[in-house]
Amino acid sequence: MSAADTPAAAAPRTRRIIPFLVFALAIALLVATPFLPNYHIRVINGLLIYILLGIGLNIVIGYAGLLDLGFVAFYAVGAYTYALLASPQFDLHLPFLLILLIAAFLGMLTGILLGIPVLKLRGDYLAIVTLGFGEIIRIMMNNVDWLTGGPQGIARLDKASVFGIEFARPVEIYFLLLVIVFTVAVLVWRMEQSILGKAWAAIREDQDAARGIGINTTNAKLAAFATSASIGSIAGVIFAASQRFVSPESFTLQESVLIVLMIVIGGIGNILGIVAGAAILILLPEVLREFAEWRILFLGLLMIVLIIIRPAGIVPRSFGPDKLIRGLFGK
Amino acid sequence: MTLIFQNIRKQYGSNVAIDDVSTEFVPGLIHGIIGPNGAGKSTLINMTAGSYTVSSGAIVLDGRQMQSLKKYEIANSGIARTYQNIRLFDQMTALENLEVCYYPTEVGATWREVLWPPFSRSQRERRREACMEILRFFNLQGYATAEAGSLPYGRQRMLEIARALVMNPRVLLLDEPAAGLNHHETAELTAKLAELRSPARIMIIVEHDMDLVMTLCDRIVVMHHGKLLFQGTPAEVQANPDVQLAYLGTANDIDEIRAAAQDRRAKLGIRARQRS
Ligand SMILES: Nc1ncnc2c1ncn2[C@@H]1O[C@H](COP(=O)(O)OP(=O)(O)OP(=O)(O)O)[C@@H](O)[C@H]1O
Ligand SMILES: [Mg+2]
Repeated sequence: MSAADTPAAAAPRTRRIIPFLVFALAIALLVATPFLPNYHIRVINGLLIYILLGIGLNIVIGYAGLLDLGFVAFYAVGAYTYALLASPQFDLHLPFLLILLIAAFLGMLTGILLGIPVLKLRGDYLAIVTLGFGEIIRIMMNNVDWLTGGPQGIARLDKASVFGIEFARPVEIYFLLLVIVFTVAVLVWRMEQSILGKAWAAIREDQDAARGIGINTTNAKLAAFATSASIGSIAGVIFAASQRFVSPESFTLQESVLIVLMIVIGGIGNILGIVAGAAILILLPEVLREFAEWRILFLGLLMIVLIIIRPAGIVPRSFGPDKLIRGLFGK
Repeated sequence: MTLIFQNIRKQYGSNVAIDDVSTEFVPGLIHGIIGPNGAGKSTLINMTAGSYTVSSGAIVLDGRQMQSLKKYEIANSGIARTYQNIRLFDQMTALENLEVCYYPTEVGATWREVLWPPFSRSQRERRREACMEILRFFNLQGYATAEAGSLPYGRQRMLEIARALVMNPRVLLLDEPAAGLNHHETAELTAKLAELRSPARIMIIVEHDMDLVMTLCDRIVVMHHGKLLFQGTPAEVQANPDVQLAYLGTANDIDEIRAAAQDRRAKLGIRARQRS
């Protein structure tokens, strides 16, 4: 119909082959994972948790265009929710799914509580305040010993179990994570396509013009913060359940920065990009384990190269999941 | 339904941009606001749309005070606008620029849209069809899937007006819709704007193109140094010596006003094109 449709229709075969190959590789890896040694499954589990975190943070950064550097706080909220409600700490042993719901709700609440005072800020100011918030939460975990066990953290967390099925071994956690990551990815993607997602895009482009067409930008941004925080919190629950131990060390500023980097390198505003970004930033250090002292240098170089050759990320915003599906099934 | 300015004032620091302006706009008519550079035309539009606060006085739509409402609330009570410098959502497609305007009425159904595919499909279909209709009205249907920022300048102007129309506003404020357009595009715009005249709509156009203003407008408000200098029909405005004085510094005839305004418009156009 329009000029914009024609090039895609006439795209050479190779255009279709590259996403197909990458997709096939990803599927092969997912299928092979349960047969790998435990150590490797744990690495893949870590990757899936980071993908979940990336999908969550991307709502705020990629969709609504707000730089949040304190995302790890919500991750911590989820992890400690599980630790407190399913451990000998207070001798509480609530079921996993119930805790997941509670944590999602608490994450959302924390997101809104953080959002209300800071959403008037933009850009750098927002980044700094959220960064501070992340640190406050971590320092609190470190110091409120009676609740969080302080720097020692909380150990001997319950095994996760859903309807009597236990999720404790790495391969079991792997299946649990697959289901949750896939579900969250689909829901978040549908959210991006919804009218709320379009409003986020409008706010990202021109906040004032967005108000001019009747968008209550405060509410729309709060919705982004709340959804994002609740996904971060869900990731925290699964993290805690798989480690069966939590301590403040896991929730440093570096974690927040790593997740932001995943998004920026992979493809801001695109779930496929986040998968790619996470794969590179999480798997590459594992592959390079033998050259430990060169690792940081190597990653730094890679980042510089990627930012120069692919400034919009490895998978740019324009190549979203819909394009992949169309590419795969030739529609 | 009327839109009334009651003694409105706007100060930027010590600079009085609007000084005690009172007037009234009625539906069914196209109102023009003209005046030289810096006269305060855009400030009037910005205050009406809630982009700027009002220093004192009241803006009343249909008996309701608007000046203390938030900008999005003003938009939702039926006041839509375009900007002197185009402000589209550049990286969204032309179609999405219109679709997003459904946010205020449809955001409540977001969860259904996310969780229930048949609902979201029909919702999106309906939204798309309504927006495509508006695009077709402005001959923009061929750009539906193109990024708004990639459209030619003249098409962007049209798209911005299209976006303002999605929610079928009671008040349509256009700030220099012809700025930067060539003759052909201006003629097209004039014809479209004439079609938008409706008994249910108050239209206010700020414009430097005197041909457009004189052809299209039923009533004209002339602003000068933040004050309302004169208001009346196009014929009355053209015959008024004060207006000539305001534009040219000397009392001269309308052809020279036209030339002066045209000159200024051309400059604006050059700037506008450089930006895009
Ligand atoms: N945001 C602002 N801050 C300070 N002063 C402003 C601001 N906007 C406008 N002004 C001043 O208010 C006065 C009126 O400006 P306004 O933009 O309303 O004029 P205008 O009639 O739209 O002019 P133009 O034809 O150039 O668009 C000018 O003196 C201008 O310098
Ligand atoms: Mg102006």
